[in-house]
Amino acid sequence: MGFYKFLLSRVLSFVLVVFIGITTVFFVPRFMPSDPVEAMIGKMTANQAFMEPEAIVTLRETLNESFGLEGSMWDQYWGFVKRVIITQDFGPSLASYPNPVNELIVKALPWTMGLLLISTIIAWLIGNVVGLLAGFLKDKSYSKAMEAISIMIYPIPYYILALILIMLLTYIYPIFPLSATFQGEGFSWEHIKSIVYNSILPALSMILVGTGWWVISMKTLSSGIAEEDYVHFARLKGLSERKIMTKYVLPNAALPQVTMLALQIGTIFNGALITEILFGYPGIGTLIYTGILQADYNLIMGTITLSIIAVAAATFIVDFLYPFIDPRVRYK
Amino acid sequence: MRIMKRLTVLFVMMALIITACSNDNNKSNSTSDAGKNNAAAETDGNKDTGDSKSSGKMTDVGTPRSETLIVDILGGRSPDPDRYNPYVPGAVAMDAGVHQLMFSNLWEIDTQKGTQIPDLAATFPEPLDGTNTKFKFKIQEGLSWSDGQPFTAHDVEFTAKMIADTKELGYNGYFTNLVKSMKATDDYTIEVETVNPETRLAQKLGVVIWGNTFRVMPKHIWEKEDPATFKFSNPIGVGPYKLKDRDPQGNWFLWEKREDWQKSDIGKLVGEPGPKYILFKFFGPEEKRIIAMIQHDMDILQDITPESWDVLRQKNEYAKAWYNDFPYATMDDPCERGMSFNTAKEPYNNPDVRWALALMTDIKNVSMATFGGMLRVSPIQLPPIKVLQDNYHKPMLGWLKDFALEDGYKPFDDSYAAGIVDMLKQQGVEGLPTDQSAISDTFGVGWWKFDPAEAAKLLEKNGFKKDGDKWLLPNGKPWTMTINAPANFEVQSMRLAFAVADSWRKQGIEVNVQQMEGASFWDSESTGAFEIGSYWPACGLLPDTTANMTGWHKQYIVPIGEQAPGNRNRWANDRVSTLLDELDGLPSDDPKVIQNITEINKEFVKGMPFIPMFGTSKFVPVDTYYWDGFQTSENAFEGPWWWWSQFKFYTPHLKPTGR
Amino acid sequence: MKHWNFRLKLGVLLLGIFIILGFIVPFFYQGNPIEWGTYLKNLKPSKEHIFGTTNLGQDTFWLLAKSIQNSFIIGIIVAFFATLIGVLLGLWAGFKGGFIDRLITVLTDSFIVIPSLPILILLGSLMQGKASLFMIAFVLIIFNWPWPARQIRSMALSLSERDFISTAIFSGQNTLKIIVKEIFPFVAGWSVANFVNTILVAIGSESGLAVIGMSSNEKATLGTMIYWANQHQAMLSERWWWIGSPVVAIALIFIALFLVMTGYQQYSALRRGK
Repeated sequence: MGFYKFLLSRVLSFVLVVFIGITTVFFVPRFMPSDPVEAMIGKMTANQAFMEPEAIVTLRETLNESFGLEGSMWDQYWGFVKRVIITQDFGPSLASYPNPVNELIVKALPWTMGLLLISTIIAWLIGNVVGLLAGFLKDKSYSKAMEAISIMIYPIPYYILALILIMLLTYIYPIFPLSATFQGEGFSWEHIKSIVYNSILPALSMILVGTGWWVISMKTLSSGIAEEDYVHFARLKGLSERKIMTKYVLPNAALPQVTMLALQIGTIFNGALITEILFGYPGIGTLIYTGILQADYNLIMGTITLSIIAVAAATFIVDFLYPFIDPRVRYK
Repeated sequence: MRIMKRLTVLFVMMALIITACSNDNNKSNSTSDAGKNNAAAETDGNKDTGDSKSSGKMTDVGTPRSETLIVDILGGRSPDPDRYNPYVPGAVAMDAGVHQLMFSNLWEIDTQKGTQIPDLAATFPEPLDGTNTKFKFKIQEGLSWSDGQPFTAHDVEFTAKMIADTKELGYNGYFTNLVKSMKATDDYTIEVETVNPETRLAQKLGVVIWGNTFRVMPKHIWEKEDPATFKFSNPIGVGPYKLKDRDPQGNWFLWEKREDWQKSDIGKLVGEPGPKYILFKFFGPEEKRIIAMIQHDMDILQDITPESWDVLRQKNEYAKAWYNDFPYATMDDPCERGMSFNTAKEPYNNPDVRWALALMTDIKNVSMATFGGMLRVSPIQLPPIKVLQDNYHKPMLGWLKDFALEDGYKPFDDSYAAGIVDMLKQQGVEGLPTDQSAISDTFGVGWWKFDPAEAAKLLEKNGFKKDGDKWLLPNGKPWTMTINAPANFEVQSMRLAFAVADSWRKQGIEVNVQQMEGASFWDSESTGAFEIGSYWPACGLLPDTTANMTGWHKQYIVPIGEQAPGNRNRWANDRVSTLLDELDGLPSDDPKVIQNITEINKEFVKGMPFIPMFGTSKFVPVDTYYWDGFQTSENAFEGPWWWWSQFKFYTPHLKPTGR
Repeated sequence: MKHWNFRLKLGVLLLGIFIILGFIVPFFYQGNPIEWGTYLKNLKPSKEHIFGTTNLGQDTFWLLAKSIQNSFIIGIIVAFFATLIGVLLGLWAGFKGGFIDRLITVLTDSFIVIPSLPILILLGSLMQGKASLFMIAFVLIIFNWPWPARQIRSMALSLSERDFISTAIFSGQNTLKIIVKEIFPFVAGWSVANFVNTILVAIGSESGLAVIGMSSNEKATLGTMIYWANQHQAMLSERWWWIGSPVVAIALIFIALFLVMTGYQQYSALRRGK
């Protein structure tokens, strides 16, 4: 019966975490020293001639009404919670009014998922293999070389690394396109081909920058475990090194790494921000960025709520996976 | 030994990375050119007939490169490439070619002459009686929409009625306060009745700067739709181009010349547009946009930094800016930059303090730090563009030289231009103007002296004290201030804030620069949540700058915390307000207009609610590899305002080079 | 010293160089290295300016020294407090279980699920540019403790199932003692790795904030140095000293810390006689 109790408490904390998260997300943008209506009026008056004050008052009313920003903050919050829970609708985007936020997210989601899911997992796999080798087979020269390379790339700030990649591969050796242009539509071969071609460079940058941490973290874990007593026993028992590595070291070192991977996958929406802007990639990161720049409450809330739910779900799943990966842990 | 080996690997790797970056970059030109030639050779090889005129290079949207003009998008990626309804606020990226090539306005602007010109309207509004509330104007004959339907006065009438009847439209409020009715008396005549007497109707419904919201929509399509929700996904206009294709992600828009371009406004007014295709494309951050032009993948770049221009100039011999030599940039942008005070806040409510800060500004070094000296100074409230310099800056020189502060001190210094030229020579800049009048035309008529001693006098008179090298406020606390600056847009204003802060800091004030994103930046200006800001409440283009100055009327002042409709500096000046009231009743061409505006400028100099510093220097380089005939200082049929609606007027000048 | 392995020696040497550069060298410079227009612009490296000057008329070398100092300060403060808080809470939760575990988990999870960048931007604009370096460090601590907390909790969860811990619990030792004596040695290695990583995350986040203009761009840090260099297209115009030196500095600081960390592990393993 332990399992059901465990399930109940996990579900409860999942709900609690999401609730705290989205409440914060609702209130935080409203403390921003700007609001979307004024931003839009500012934009309109900056580009064009001066406006009569009466005209601005009317414009403000019109915009407030169409953006649904009337009433007290509490009313708006209540409306927001009801909308999110009952209809899962985040309302219209203010920056690209009147498009619904949901529609924008649905359009952007596959791009981000495709790019980041794949590159995060590749980075995780490479990083863990290299880290395991570097930690367990410390004295092999290839494991050292790989370790050395990854720790050298890792600390370079992502922005700079990505720029160096762009300069190298689109400018000095123009192998890849400078900006993403997607040909064809739907599931045509041409379309998929152009997506893959255009995604290699951003994916490469994510993999390069992502691998380093996995290497370092895996190396530390596995070299710690390699000194454990049971590994020494295994050695004394005459098991092969390969067997020790896969049977003893890997499972023990993998647990924290799996946790981390799950969390990492949950946060890919934010990790995408700089990548997508730099490579002109049409995903969630670009959306969040637009939302912040234009004080678009609904868009910020929509994208971030999504991210919150994703991360919370990831941790939720991880907790269930623990016992399968590490048999010493029971549900409790 | 093992460890040594490992280390060697490490350092060799690092050395490799570093050298790879630097070496490869030096030979970058040759490599990339070689790459291009190979690619070209390959395509030539594939084509047996071998067309000698074009190498057959295609753009990545599938049009021949030699027939496609590629233009940068100033506003970046468009959030919704399916929406072209210009009256729904926000979503439409006007500067992705939409208002440059497709939509047209009633009147356009000729920035070189400083006059408005007809576009969709054939004549300017003529008053029908003495009340200045009833007008008549003619519409161009023989034009048609790009779907072939004729364009008539009924479209104009329909658009006006639609705006007035649809409260949800953001423009509704402004428009109904201005226009009571607009009627088509026949196919080519419009009669307008305004709410109040108007003397500048063409300026309010036509283009002066950038564009105008009143864009005529096709009646035959819009009458069946709800204007508040209509997307207008297959947009049409009277302009010379039509939308051929678009990126679902909003990064590019492909425009094609109309087959019936003769029936477009440009076809009738100017001639046949040059490029068959115009591709508006956003490449991303500045680095990538620069690389794109170096690789000849971009023909027109919008608004880059001087450093980027330096790179471009060295790596692409076909790249051209406005001037062939230093300062390269065009300085005729209609807004000037400087430091804007919130005069409702202590101690900036005191004109002596504002003047002291002006005299503490080491303007030459500020110019160097902001844009490497490629700037033109302005001592008055109007941008130092050619038209306005001739009408105001130069005629006011005598007054400026004689102008004295209360204690008799004459702050004006007409040697700025000569001084900055010396400074630039020291930095090794070549190709500077030598002729005396060319020097002052380029760098400005003069500015205020850099005189910390006089500034100290002004401050001490008002109870400020100097403690060591730090200034104390009259209440004995250290003088600290925050300058608001744009985060990463409007680079010149942003840099100016840092440069001025650096200059004032050296004089003993603790200055912070607060960089803000667009929304918060504008919001703090209008609610008065700033002390000093790098705002630019000083624009103008036509000799009659009334419309740009109306906002300074004291009637618009609201308390701090409320949104100000105008006068965001909260500077109340009775004389300025009276002069503005008078101007409102004068027609644009009345000689008294210039007189009144000159007087207003004098009040601004005395009160200094905004320290004007520099005109805006815009680097909008073009690549002459595939296209030629662009406007430059030597071929100045217009300014390089590629993000304005007048772009369509340039298109007939552009010619392919045949590459 | 005698028994130090090569990694440790090299790491300490490198780290020492940077500490001298950051904390001693700046004292030899009269004036403020971040002030603009002190020298002619874009000079090549020479005797007077060993790294040349920037496009803003600063001396690149002195600017770098000052930047290293400030970045170090931010990095160390953030890494120390974030790791400390994270490890303690993580151990407590994982070991204690029950209600405390649930509470801490909900707390860490709530912090983890909220994406930090928008919040950082918000705080940046609330602080109106008066953000001191300590303020930025404080904000970064808030967003960096939950990760180690969660990670350590999962390690503690696994450790607490082990026999010797159960024995300790059953023998009635007090919790703190068990954590410090029995569990901490196991997580120490990971904590050090996390500490090193957080230094970098802190330096990286600070420069990330700098890129969007929300750090104090008038303070010299490695992040703002990269920011200004980028603003002035140092990379495309091949001003390598300006853009390159902070990047190389960050990389070398990390490598130094990494060498010290792994070198120390080998060293202590040797001392433990394994």
